[in-house]
Parts: sequence; structure tokens; C-alpha cells
Amino acid sequence: MELRDKKVIVTGGARGLGRSMVDQLVARAATVAVFDLDARGLVELSAQQPDVHCVECDISDYDQVVAATARYHEQYGAADVLVNNAGILYSAPLVRLGPNGLERHDVAMWHKVLAADLSSVFYMTACVVEQMIATRTRGVVVNISSVSAGGNAGQSAYSAAKAGVNALTATWAKELSMMGIRVVAVAPGFTETESTKEALSETVLRETVKRVPVRRLGKPEEIAAGVIAVLENDFFNGKVFELDGGLII
Amino acid sequence: METVDVDERVAGVLSEVLQLPATKITDDLAMQDLEAWDSLKHMELIVSLEETFGQQFTFDEIVAMRSVREIKRVLRAKDAQG
Repeated sequence: MELRDKKVIVTGGARGLGRSMVDQLVARAATVAVFDLDARGLVELSAQQPDVHCVECDISDYDQVVAATARYHEQYGAADVLVNNAGILYSAPLVRLGPNGLERHDVAMWHKVLAADLSSVFYMTACVVEQMIATRTRGVVVNISSVSAGGNAGQSAYSAAKAGVNALTATWAKELSMMGIRVVAVAPGFTETESTKEALSETVLRETVKRVPVRRLGKPEEIAAGVIAVLENDFFNGKVFELDGGLII
Repeated sequence: METVDVDERVAGVLSEVLQLPATKITDDLAMQDLEAWDSLKHMELIVSLEETFGQQFTFDEIVAMRSVREIKRVLRAKDAQG
């Protein structure tokens, strides 16, 4: 797909990895809209990228997604590309030894992570692809997965959500390819973002870097370049593009 | 487009996609009557018809084409439009 003048929605594009994707898409003359919960981040994004259409929306809330995508479609018509990037990173083992003995994984956090990292992808894709089909738009859906989808100790909820994202990628590619809609995923390894620093302690991060063959974290712009690559390559479909510096969990 | 030609080609596509003998492809055959003709199979059918007839259907046409009779009607209407 040639990205010039294509209508692209990036979820969670106000900061971090998503922001790098927005910058690279704008540089390729795509018409970008960002759906994000972070109102302050959207104000900053709007100041720095005035051509980007900013939508404040909690995409883990189905009703908000239905309303926000309907407004978008009314204004722009069907999107050509959806990048499901938004999500939260949360690390906790199934059972841990706390000050008062054994503690189970927080159930509220389990639901929150699944809602933010998996249900949101389902909601956004259903609403955006419905419009692609209705207008016979030959679009692309890019799901941002993670190397944790293979199972990462200490990340029950996050790993489960990302494994679900990979399963949806394969399922939707099989369902939608005949309509000319590709569905792909990009799975970053550990990357230099605020959310990585917030979710992992310095010690864990240092140990992680030692396990990465290239001995460093990925850069947001390297992950964004991966997203551009899978968008531009029309033969890439139903697969996960792993960008992890050679890390195998 | 000749009527016989359309009928034969439609029957051929449906027979192949829905895995039905050509004799079962009557004008009355409709999506609701055949379990195998679900929404995913319908999209496969639409794509096969587009390839066979060199046409692209609108979404409204895709929704309408839920019986053999309607498929033929849409194809003839498109043919008449040139």
C-alpha cells in the first residue's frame, strides 16, 4: 500500500510507540487520526502535528468506540488503515510471595489489562472494518502485539492479551482477505518507552537487556518503521512481524 | 450477456463455492435455506462472481444477492448499465 493520502487511524498515538508511528505516517503524507484516552497527550500532539485529527476516547469502552468511530466515518468515510497500538503494560506473576504470605494476581488488573489490550482491539477493528466492507475499501489492520505473546513469566494478563491479539490477527486475515483487507501484527520486544520503564524495575530491565542479542532495547522509531514496512508490503498477511533484537523468551 | 450464459456461469460459481451439484442450483435457492451458505461463504461467493463476471458489486448489491434469483437480477442489471 502506498501511504500517501491514505486515511489512517492510530490508537494510543499521543505518546510512546504510537507517537513514533504517527510521525512516520505523517512524513509519508498519510491523513492520520489518533484515538487516545490521554487528553493532555492529545493536546501536545495537536500542537506538534496540527494536521493530525485527535479523538479523545477510551477504546476499552465499546459504547465510546461505536460513537467515536461513527463520528470519524461521518467526517472522513472509511479508513484505509487501522493501527491497534493502544494498550497498557502490566507485570505481575500468577501468585507471589508478599509480606503476608502468598498473594494471587489482582483480578481487577487481569480484567483491566484484557479490556485495554485485547477487547479494545476487537471493538476498534469491528467498527472500522465494518465500514471498510460497506464501502469495499481494500484496507489494512495492523495489531501491535508483543514478544510476550509467547508467554512471559511475570506477565500473565499481558501475555494472554497479546496471544489473543495474535490469534485475532490470523483469524481476521482468513476472514477478511477475500474482501481485500489484510490483517497483520507487529510484535516488539523490549522497547525504550515510558510504559516499559514504568512496568519494569531497573534491575529487571538491565537483566532483560543482557538477554537481547543486540544488547539494547528497541527504539520507538524502529518499531514504527516495522509498522510502515508491513503496511507497504501487500504480500505480508496474517502473520506476526517480530522486532525484538533477536530476543527469544 | 445472454440469459443462458449468465445462468450457466452463475450455477457453475455457486456449485463450486457451495459444493453443490449444479442440478441443485435453482432460482429459488436462497442463503436462508442452506446452512453452508453463511456470511463468510457469501463473501467468498461474491468475490468468485466478481472474478467470473469482471464486475465489482456495491455493498447494497452484496446484501441483496442472497438468492440465486437476486444474483442473476443484479448481474443482468449491471450488464444493462454497461
